[in-house]
Amino acid sequence: MKKWFSVLLLTMLVFSLAACGSQKDEKTSEGNKETKTNEVFKIGAIPDQNAADLDKGMTAVAKYLSEKTGLKVEFVPSVDYAALVTGFQRGEIHMAWFGGLTSVQARNLVPDAESIVQRPRDAEFHSVFITQAQENINKLEDLKGKSFTFGSESSTSGHLMPRYFLTEAGIDPNKDFDGKPNFSGSHDTTYKLVESGAFKAGALNEAVWEAAVKEGKVDTNKVKVFYTTPAYFDYNWTINSNVEKVFGTGTKKKVKDALLSITGDQKEIADLFQTDSFVETNNDNYQKIEKVAKELEIIK
Amino acid sequence: MKAGNVFRLHNRLILSLILIAVFVWSLFSIKWNADLVHSGGIPTLLQIVEGLFHPDLSADVLYLGFKSAWITLAYAVAGMFLAIIYALIVGTLASGVLTSNKATRILSKVIFRGILGFTRSIHELIWAWLFVAAVGLSPYAAIFALAIPYGGILGRIFADMLNDVSEEPIKALKTAGANKWQTLIYGYIPIIWADMISYTMYRFECAIRSSAIMSFIGLGGLGYQIQLSLQDLKYDRVWAFVFFLIVLVVFVDSWSNLVRKRITERKKRGVMNTGWNSVIFAFFLILASWIYIKLGENAQFIELLSHKNIEAAKRFFSGLIGLQSDQPAFLDADSWSDALKLTLETLEMSMMAIGFATIAAFLTVVPAVRSIANGTLTGSSKWYNWILYGMVRIGYIFSRSVPELVWAMMIIFIFKPGLLPGAIALALHNFGILGKLWAEVIEDMDARPIRNLAMAGASQIEIFFYGILPTVLPRFLTYILYRWEVIMRTTIVVGFVGAGGLGMDFKLAMSFFNYTQITLLLLCYMILVIIADFASESTRKAVK
Repeated sequence: MKKWFSVLLLTMLVFSLAACGSQKDEKTSEGNKETKTNEVFKIGAIPDQNAADLDKGMTAVAKYLSEKTGLKVEFVPSVDYAALVTGFQRGEIHMAWFGGLTSVQARNLVPDAESIVQRPRDAEFHSVFITQAQENINKLEDLKGKSFTFGSESSTSGHLMPRYFLTEAGIDPNKDFDGKPNFSGSHDTTYKLVESGAFKAGALNEAVWEAAVKEGKVDTNKVKVFYTTPAYFDYNWTINSNVEKVFGTGTKKKVKDALLSITGDQKEIADLFQTDSFVETNNDNYQKIEKVAKELEIIK
Repeated sequence: MKAGNVFRLHNRLILSLILIAVFVWSLFSIKWNADLVHSGGIPTLLQIVEGLFHPDLSADVLYLGFKSAWITLAYAVAGMFLAIIYALIVGTLASGVLTSNKATRILSKVIFRGILGFTRSIHELIWAWLFVAAVGLSPYAAIFALAIPYGGILGRIFADMLNDVSEEPIKALKTAGANKWQTLIYGYIPIIWADMISYTMYRFECAIRSSAIMSFIGLGGLGYQIQLSLQDLKYDRVWAFVFFLIVLVVFVDSWSNLVRKRITERKKRGVMNTGWNSVIFAFFLILASWIYIKLGENAQFIELLSHKNIEAAKRFFSGLIGLQSDQPAFLDADSWSDALKLTLETLEMSMMAIGFATIAAFLTVVPAVRSIANGTLTGSSKWYNWILYGMVRIGYIFSRSVPELVWAMMIIFIFKPGLLPGAIALALHNFGILGKLWAEVIEDMDARPIRNLAMAGASQIEIFFYGILPTVLPRFLTYILYRWEVIMRTTIVVGFVGAGGLGMDFKLAMSFFNYTQITLLLLCYMILVIIADFASESTRKAVK
């Protein structure tokens, strides 16, 4: 019996040593190979929509940017908003398609990061509040005592701004609904949950809603929009502060120009973003978002 | 002796009454009316059930299923491998068998048992979250997150086993002149290694489930696919991936049963058996898993210690201890009172969960006993016993193969966010485990008194209450307490998806990068787990 065990122990030991050894070898060879030009330019996007659609559209963006800038661009999918912000903070994501709130969070963590490009509609973005068609809900105040779902807790158009406008209308989302509000995680899930009847009402991104209606993903006989919020700044491409250092000076401008040159001809991109052009933006545009987030104690 | 028996019976009775009272108290935390299910709950439930009967088994789902099942398995194997190493080292130190005098023995016991206690008190998903926040997304984050709490549990059990070894053989070795290492290798380990392997195999099954839910922090595997399908509300796909998980768990379960059976047979007969197949298979699995993680996922271990990661980890932990904040939440009275309210809620959730699980297991355990189904226990067998047995057992497997978090993600669509969906999700998972453990207890009991009762004309129900229950009650209570401890640890995880308690706030604090709040919630959580540990351990001793 003891022989049996010592054999087991020995092989385990040898194996674990071998495992450690091979790790080191591989790493050193890898380290030597790496040069600055070989670095992959990684882009990310907040997972606020159907994962398959996002993957398709963002891969198209990566391909387009590769062609235009000569960099090796890759899309890195992410399961939650906070994970993407953390990746950005760590400098692993070089550019990301953030919502207003996540871009403010990201710029708080990486002070020299810059919001560079957005869609024309992002300058005056709206959230829509939806409910079941037969429900007698016609204004925000009617939501009192009804079950309600936000999108992701980190979403601007699915949580932050709807919460802000609800509070303005005198509704405390933590107390006044039927039970606590739900966080569905994504805009697509929000309308599906309202359509399936799981929740009486919800709030989501106007662009995602319009796309869903256009593509017949949502049954408008069952779900209706009863309130559209005033305009605010939302989504944007935010570029990391380490880009010039890693990929050489001028990269920021190169990437920005490439993004601005996107037109409706890039069909997969146009489909995902619901736009046929991009325009410039800057950090100052998101001051209101930051103020609201601080008021609601989402940013401390 | 007799007085002692009466006293013990008393103890059990009192404990049962206390447990029932606590469960009833926890029920008061919920306003019981029809409003618990939101208006769309029932239609959603029907959609989910429909998906269960028509899982999406198209080619690409199957392909994805196999791929993710392998990732899940590989992470679990690699994590368990590290956990065993950690447990062997720290467990031996914690048992104090290597120390020479009393003072150092106590010191080493206290320190290393403390380390083991700390590492296992935090749920693997929380470890994973902390690792990812500190060192970024890497398969190693998942593997370490698995290895740390599992190593903690294994190490503690190993230490207990080492301490329970009877004195005589060790004394014999010592008088023969063996030093401490020799007594460990030739004395202690050969005595306990069969139990060690069998417990490790049991833990391995749990590791599969834990590995599956690692994907909720963004690491691939079956949980990731389940989560994606749930986000798109494609219940038929959800079930398809859940079935993959069940098959994986059943596979590991039957392997571990096989190994355990071999070991006990060997012990009985005292002869060498062919355990080599399993050993070779285990080696192959470990090797393949590491190779996959190294090459397939291209994970660099050394990169974890890179300058960048150390900077990020430093930033993260200094955030946790409040260096970056003027007003750390854990120094704020209001935050504390809010957090303590959540802590109480979490406690109530765990009580409710174990209560529901106990009731469900209690109602189903009798038909699930093999020796009742085939009639060896009661001396009579009905044709429908086997059908009932099969149905209940399949129900158990189903219930325990699906992790609490996955149950919670579905249930949250049916009930309103709050404590109840969390409690139900926890109960759904634990009732299968409890039922299985209880059924095994009944199977192992002495059949003679029961047959006597049956011969004297007692009905099935009378047999259960007068024959079976009095004999197995202490073991039943032990298992209830033990599962409650586990549930306590898991409450925070079901909260992530909106099922109330500390978990919900933890998730929000993570999303809003509110580090000091995370620290505060973690503190509350640890207090809760330590209380649960202590309460369950001391009561278990009392009923033994």
